[in-house]
Amino acid sequence: MTILKLLIFCLILLPPEGSGERVKNLMYENIKSTSGCYRRLNSTHQIGCSSKNGGSTGIIHVCKTHKDLTFILEEGKGKTYIPLLPAKLFNVDTLNEMIESKRVSGVMLYIHNVTLESLGHFTHERQCPNPYTSLNGSCKNDSEWNPYGTGLLYADIPFPIFYTDDEQEIIKMTACFEQYNNFSFERQAERSLCSLEMKSFMPATTNTVTCQRRSHVISSTVTFCDPLGDKNLWVSLYPLVDGPNKNEMKPVVDNKYIVIAAKLDTTSMFDKMPGANSPATGIVTLLMVAKYLKDILTINMLREAKTNVLFILFNGESYDYIGSQRILYDMLKGDFPMKNSDVLPKIHPDNVSLFIELSQLGNSKENQLFVHYWNESKEIRSFYKKLEKNGQPHLYFQNVSGTNGLPPASLHTFLKSDPSFPGLIIADHESSYSNHFYNSLFDNSTNIAYRYYDTLLPEYIPKNSFQQFIANMSEAIGKSVFEEITKKKYTGNASSDVVLADELLYCYLENPNCRVLTATQQDVILDDRPLNFYIGINGVSNFARTVTTLALGWLTGDVIGKSNGNCTNIPKNHVFQYYNMSSSIYELDSTVCYRLSIHTTDAVSPAFIIPDYDWASGEFSSWTESRWYEMSARLFLKPSAAHEQITIVLGLLSLVFSSSVVYFVKSKSHLLFTPIASAEGLPNC
Amino acid sequence: MDLAKVSNEKKLDLCRWYFRIGFALLPFVWAVNAIWFFNEAFRKPEYAEQKHIKKYVIFSAMGSAIWLVLLITWVTIFQLNRANWGETADYISFIIPLGTP
Repeated sequence: MTILKLLIFCLILLPPEGSGERVKNLMYENIKSTSGCYRRLNSTHQIGCSSKNGGSTGIIHVCKTHKDLTFILEEGKGKTYIPLLPAKLFNVDTLNEMIESKRVSGVMLYIHNVTLESLGHFTHERQCPNPYTSLNGSCKNDSEWNPYGTGLLYADIPFPIFYTDDEQEIIKMTACFEQYNNFSFERQAERSLCSLEMKSFMPATTNTVTCQRRSHVISSTVTFCDPLGDKNLWVSLYPLVDGPNKNEMKPVVDNKYIVIAAKLDTTSMFDKMPGANSPATGIVTLLMVAKYLKDILTINMLREAKTNVLFILFNGESYDYIGSQRILYDMLKGDFPMKNSDVLPKIHPDNVSLFIELSQLGNSKENQLFVHYWNESKEIRSFYKKLEKNGQPHLYFQNVSGTNGLPPASLHTFLKSDPSFPGLIIADHESSYSNHFYNSLFDNSTNIAYRYYDTLLPEYIPKNSFQQFIANMSEAIGKSVFEEITKKKYTGNASSDVVLADELLYCYLENPNCRVLTATQQDVILDDRPLNFYIGINGVSNFARTVTTLALGWLTGDVIGKSNGNCTNIPKNHVFQYYNMSSSIYELDSTVCYRLSIHTTDAVSPAFIIPDYDWASGEFSSWTESRWYEMSARLFLKPSAAHEQITIVLGLLSLVFSSSVVYFVKSKSHLLFTPIASAEGLPNC
Repeated sequence: MDLAKVSNEKKLDLCRWYFRIGFALLPFVWAVNAIWFFNEAFRKPEYAEQKHIKKYVIFSAMGSAIWLVLLITWVTIFQLNRANWGETADYISFIIPLGTP
């Protein structure tokens, strides 16, 4: 009867059927919404963080000041600690202290009630980004582009680091620390302590060469690392082909091209990359210029001038210019814009008459913009003059000669191959970034002072707003390109649409489920949170690229008729795509048939496609990302050492005891158990 | 197999075959042979085939011991130098450890 009661009691205690939680996991409390730091590799090094296989654990310690950190490093009685560190305290010195002390098994960075102004700066990119693939001398000793850069993004850190800004989770960890840890530190070893377990184990090590080789060893069933890669986007303002219908298209040859380019990615130490100034401002300006040029330039003007405008978005530029290196490689091989296309004309760098790159544009001071170039040439000088004139009275363009270096940009790739390549970079900074949160998780809408006005009426958007600045800038660039092509001043009164600028910025900085995405009429549903501008690994969907493809396709598409069922992509055609899309941002419900000519090309470094590539040459980007299977942090109470020892000793004792009982019973079985005599005697065989 | 139920002749035959098979780079067979026939060779009252069994047991034991020493030496050298040998080490590995150079 007692046994039955006990059994019922046990059954009541067990969780209801189907919850599936293992008892050993009940002692943990998960920390949600954290972003981890992971490992990447290039041809010579490994960078980033990794936990131990199975997770790293440590006693949690809330460090509000540097003194608190010093305290655990020098006087802590526990074995290893995981400090809960405010983002402001995370810098080269504190990281080195933590590594050298060997008493830190992980770091939980947090930000709570802190404004970007009080933070001042937070950028872990190098002071001179992409140093090995940029032009020599593009970064002078006295003018680092990213003066606050700590370079920690490229440090090999021996423990995991997580970041959180979730208030609930910060409170949870702090409360646990206060309750169990934050008193009588001398006697910490004698009691159970609130601890954290971090899991972010990275299997790849050493460098790209090693992890790629190990992934391809015959006996290997594991992939250690994958090349960083995605797609570049390109679109021409008007088609690169002529011809009445699909079967009779001919390439438009002997054209010159004006390229308007921007980059599509950023990076950060933690897996959260809002990329507001870099790259969103550049992308939005490019989209605005595309729309404006589509409105003011006609196909006849282009055909007459034998010029076309190409818009290119390079992906992976934060990692040694993956996208531009690949496009240049393809161009030189005759594979750009498309391999084996008999319809599209081949485009070679020599066909580019002007390359205009839109860099960071969100932190301009007093509406000043800077035009950077390497070698001054007639084309660049004359285009700069046009910008200067067309910027008036809202914008002040200023030219910055390459003698002071050239900010990191895709243009470097082209200049390295041909020093006389006619290119310029438009940016918000002169000799160093005005963006103090470059390549970090704080490069968000606050960083560029953007506020969404959610209106279809332009007069509701103030003249001094950021969206008006973007509109003015795209208009000035658009007019200058118009003049460059037609050799005439633009005399019309079309202006750049500030409402579109407002909507586009909202898509990129706040919520990708925006009016522009609705206008493209594609069934794409994304998470309601800012986009992540990280190139990622090849084959994984990149939503920032998806949104940009749709927006750029829509803004440069040609309306060819009413919306109907004939607007389809059957039969398939590699030059055009046909879609029913909204006629404008103001009339989302009225759709018309658009002919799009948006294309993607691979943005995977040539290093991964050239057979027997010499990794030591350093010619192309060699970045890979380690595979990882888990990225999580959880709280638990770690028993004192004495408690743990008692548990194991008790376990061992019970093992020995039960074994001896079994042995004893077995050896004396003939005495203990009377053999049961069969009542019926032996069966009759 | 219960050796108690096998004739002495059969025992010698088995022991001899285990010894021969061990030459096919199978030191574990030698080890099994040495342990299995140890009682027969050294602890049973003398019988005709015992002399030969003893010989095979001793040689099997020596063979497996030499193998053991060689293996331990190789494993130690390999584990100490795996990271330095780089490419070569990866190609001769069956399981590549995760997260170490």
